[in-house]
Amino acid sequence: MRAFELLEPRSVAEASAMLLEHGEGARALAGGTSLVLLLRNRLAQFSHVVHIGRLAELRGVLLADDGSLRIGALTTHAEVAAHPAIRSRFPVLAEMAAQVANPQVRNVATLGGNLCLADPASDPPTCLAALGARVRVRRGGEAREIELERFFRGYYETALEPGEVLTEVIVPPLAAAQKAFYTRFITTPAEGRPLVSVAACVAADGAQRWQDVRLVLGAAVGAPLRMARAEEMLKGRRPDAGLLAEAAARAAQDLDAIGDVRASAAYRREVARVLVRRVLERALEPAR
Amino acid sequence: MHADDAPLIGTSLAPINARDKVSGGALYAADLKLPRMLHAKVLRSTYAHARIRHIDASRALKAPGVKAVLTGADTPKPWGIMRKDEHVLAVDKVRFVGEEVAVVVASDEHAALDALELIRVDYEELPAVFDMREALAPGAPEIHAGTGNLAREIAFERGDVERGFAEAKAVHEAVYETPYQYHAAMEPMASVAAVDASGRLTLWAPVHSVHRTLLRLAEVLDLPTSQIRVVQTMVGGSFGGKLGEDANLYIAARAALACRAPVRLVNTRIEDFLGARPCMPSRIELKMAADAEGRLTAKQAEIYGDNGAYSGLTPEVILVTALRLDNLYRMKNIRTRARLVYTNKIPSGGFRGFGGAQIAFAHESHMDALAEKLGMDPVEFRLKNVVTAGERTVHDWKISSCEVAQCLTTADRLIRRREKRAARKANGPLRRGIGIGTSLHVSGARQLADWDGSTVLLKFNPDGRAVVVCGEGDIGQGGTTMLAQIAAATLGLPLEHVSVSVADSESTPYTWGAVASRLTLIAGNAVMAAARSARRKLLALAAQMLEVKEDDLTIKDGVIHVVGVPDLSVSVAKVCMAHQLRPGGEAVFARATYDAPTVVADHKTYLGNVSAACSFAVQAIEVEVDIETGTVRIVDIVAVDDVGKALNPQSVEGQIHGAIAQGAGYALHEQLVLENGRLLNGNLADYVVPNALSFPAPRTVIVDGYEPNGPYGAKGASEAPISATAGAIANAVYDAIGVRITSLPITPEKVLEALRARGGA
Repeated sequence: MRAFELLEPRSVAEASAMLLEHGEGARALAGGTSLVLLLRNRLAQFSHVVHIGRLAELRGVLLADDGSLRIGALTTHAEVAAHPAIRSRFPVLAEMAAQVANPQVRNVATLGGNLCLADPASDPPTCLAALGARVRVRRGGEAREIELERFFRGYYETALEPGEVLTEVIVPPLAAAQKAFYTRFITTPAEGRPLVSVAACVAADGAQRWQDVRLVLGAAVGAPLRMARAEEMLKGRRPDAGLLAEAAARAAQDLDAIGDVRASAAYRREVARVLVRRVLERALEPAR
Repeated sequence: MHADDAPLIGTSLAPINARDKVSGGALYAADLKLPRMLHAKVLRSTYAHARIRHIDASRALKAPGVKAVLTGADTPKPWGIMRKDEHVLAVDKVRFVGEEVAVVVASDEHAALDALELIRVDYEELPAVFDMREALAPGAPEIHAGTGNLAREIAFERGDVERGFAEAKAVHEAVYETPYQYHAAMEPMASVAAVDASGRLTLWAPVHSVHRTLLRLAEVLDLPTSQIRVVQTMVGGSFGGKLGEDANLYIAARAALACRAPVRLVNTRIEDFLGARPCMPSRIELKMAADAEGRLTAKQAEIYGDNGAYSGLTPEVILVTALRLDNLYRMKNIRTRARLVYTNKIPSGGFRGFGGAQIAFAHESHMDALAEKLGMDPVEFRLKNVVTAGERTVHDWKISSCEVAQCLTTADRLIRRREKRAARKANGPLRRGIGIGTSLHVSGARQLADWDGSTVLLKFNPDGRAVVVCGEGDIGQGGTTMLAQIAAATLGLPLEHVSVSVADSESTPYTWGAVASRLTLIAGNAVMAAARSARRKLLALAAQMLEVKEDDLTIKDGVIHVVGVPDLSVSVAKVCMAHQLRPGGEAVFARATYDAPTVVADHKTYLGNVSAACSFAVQAIEVEVDIETGTVRIVDIVAVDDVGKALNPQSVEGQIHGAIAQGAGYALHEQLVLENGRLLNGNLADYVVPNALSFPAPRTVIVDGYEPNGPYGAKGASEAPISATAGAIANAVYDAIGVRITSLPITPEKVLEALRARGGA
């Protein structure tokens, strides 16, 4: 680790000002599970680290009257996994958070930090993107909201502008007909990071036709990816096993997968096909 | 005294250093802080093979906090444990990416790291070779001049191999490959070295053997051995990674001498990947045959071992790969050639199992394939061929105790292989299978000199408590607990009344340390002999004090009693005090040396009984293969071991569990991935090590065994089981999907490819 100055802002506005002042040389620190590793191994270097981890205004989980969910950026994955409202209204989110990395990381790493890091081999981006979530970011007095699909720009790259602090994650309400599923693939149980992840959010009408389908693939690509052509194949249809398999094959076809030391691109594509089909099959199963 | 008469023997005990470890009180090398201590950091080669034209350290030397920069010019002496093919810091050439080229010593680690970036090394890149067979081909770049890239060749022939194949009913041939496995100890290698005013060096480090380390340091540093002291610090795991092949401790020592100040050098995780000398990769071309009765008739093996750029202990490792399994099965006709090959890659080295895991994977895969060709049950086939107690093996090993047949039948029964196979059904894409793997390991090995012994001093303090003074140390496996247990049991003292000295080369007698699973049998026998001698002394003294006959006395819980006379007794403390505090008095102490009844194997034929005992391990493992993704999940493990009499069953179980974890990682996912010699997964996120989620708790059985050469019937327990796991898993995968993966690790990708090659799932 190289020496840096640790700044302790007392508000988001102050944090934002600090980040703006030091520009590229500054980085916000929340849980620190990733940033500290980068610093320790000298893979990243910052002159200033802005510690936002104690800002109360970034904490808390709120289920709004309209059924939407607002999760403060500093909420840890363990808190997301355990939160009663999330467990009852967005069980997919709680289940996803319970699988991230390992207990030590889940107890410290924050949801906001995870999204800002934009590590593709991670769980929350894929799951939240399928739920149509957006993030709220602030710079001084200004705030804006960004759809997660547009927030991730690629491998470790986000749409955050200089000085912007992610303050909360907003998940729109799930309609009664909507069912959401998330699944991650690891090659062995000790592996912390998914090789491929798939999330699906499906709403069927009274005739069991899938009217709304959101299918998102992650981990195998630089940023979570909507599988638009596969979604199109399913929309308005009453799917059966054959159609699901076709849609899965289409999704895999469209995938420009990462190939690296963990697995080849071809293998990730093959697993994506299997995983998409399995997730969609779960959507077909009668509710538990 | 027989085990049944000795209290504590066969009792599960917590490690005597467990409290220190779990409370954070244990002092590891990286924790040590000495006045004026400096910190070293290492500059490593970025080339797989290059000539060093020039090193310019002038800017680094001027950087803030920098005390010294060392390069190969400061370590000109070639050295090596088996072959003198390396230097502590590269001289003239670098031969792998990661090789130690220069060292900065500075007032703190940050200053040293900053200064590393100021060193300019002018390299002239040379053609490199990464594949073993390419390295042996004519015209390959030569890594060490005059070697033809061959670091060792072992060749032997026993019996009549051609006839053995001619008599066979079934012959099977296959090529097996095994990868580099990283030890992944929790504690990366770390050393602290200090020099006193007279120039005498002290090294604190988590080494396997303080005495061997001392000899090697003397060689490397050109110092008389009396000018060096080595002290073992608490070890946070080694698994062979701290055998003294890593340059870390030599660098710390050299830097301390150069700066005349204490120097601390702690490997980062990536440095540990590069420096700790991982498990030797191998290619094993195996052909074996059996006759209609299921007896093995012939074996032919062509073995390639990947030495990497330097030898370390690997020339000994490949000897084990060449010989080991031939001592498990009764065989007469064998032709083996094993070649250890230099490549421009990370040097391989000692790893738990020490060459056994490579050959056991190949051999055990082969046993199942042969059984199938014969139409025999794989367990029956093994039972027909395993050695039994009293036999001499084809390599002239004396099998003094052996319960491997019982291990096989027990494992088979407990995993319910036959019942499960009969009832098996496909569950969607999931297929289950059960496989058996068998292995053995030595308890000591008379290999590097004609001595495989241990000398122990047993010293009583005036309070009647005993200290076992010995240089064996504890590499994390519980060695000192075992020695304290034997001493306490033999002396009739409570365990808390016995402590074991730190392994310190200055105050302990010469010995080899924790290698080759030798401590239980060899140091255990020495401690038992010393304790018996001390016991006799105590009884003689007590007999005088109590005015009774020695034969009428016994010791229990630290008190010497007259048998049958409850009121007549004297405490061991009182006896010790009385012996000391008198004119001409002295402390009660005893000394004993045990040297194993073994021989050094013949240098040409490799024949000879190198170990006083062999331990045996059998694992039956059930897996579930997902034929759509290729993943292999372990659903059940039965591990049955013959360790003779288990002195401390909980500790033995711990060794078995740990060995299985390491063996399962080897089987399924662990491997260093190199691209043109460059390590791509040198971190614990990309290099995944098994954890508690990886498999259900193994069901462990320690069969009732007794080793006549062992203390209280005990023999080694730490290394046999690791070699059984990969074969068991490979056989289970075959049982599940009918596809045999012959190259480790059995990754999901390989499983899918193999299924596809066979023509669909």
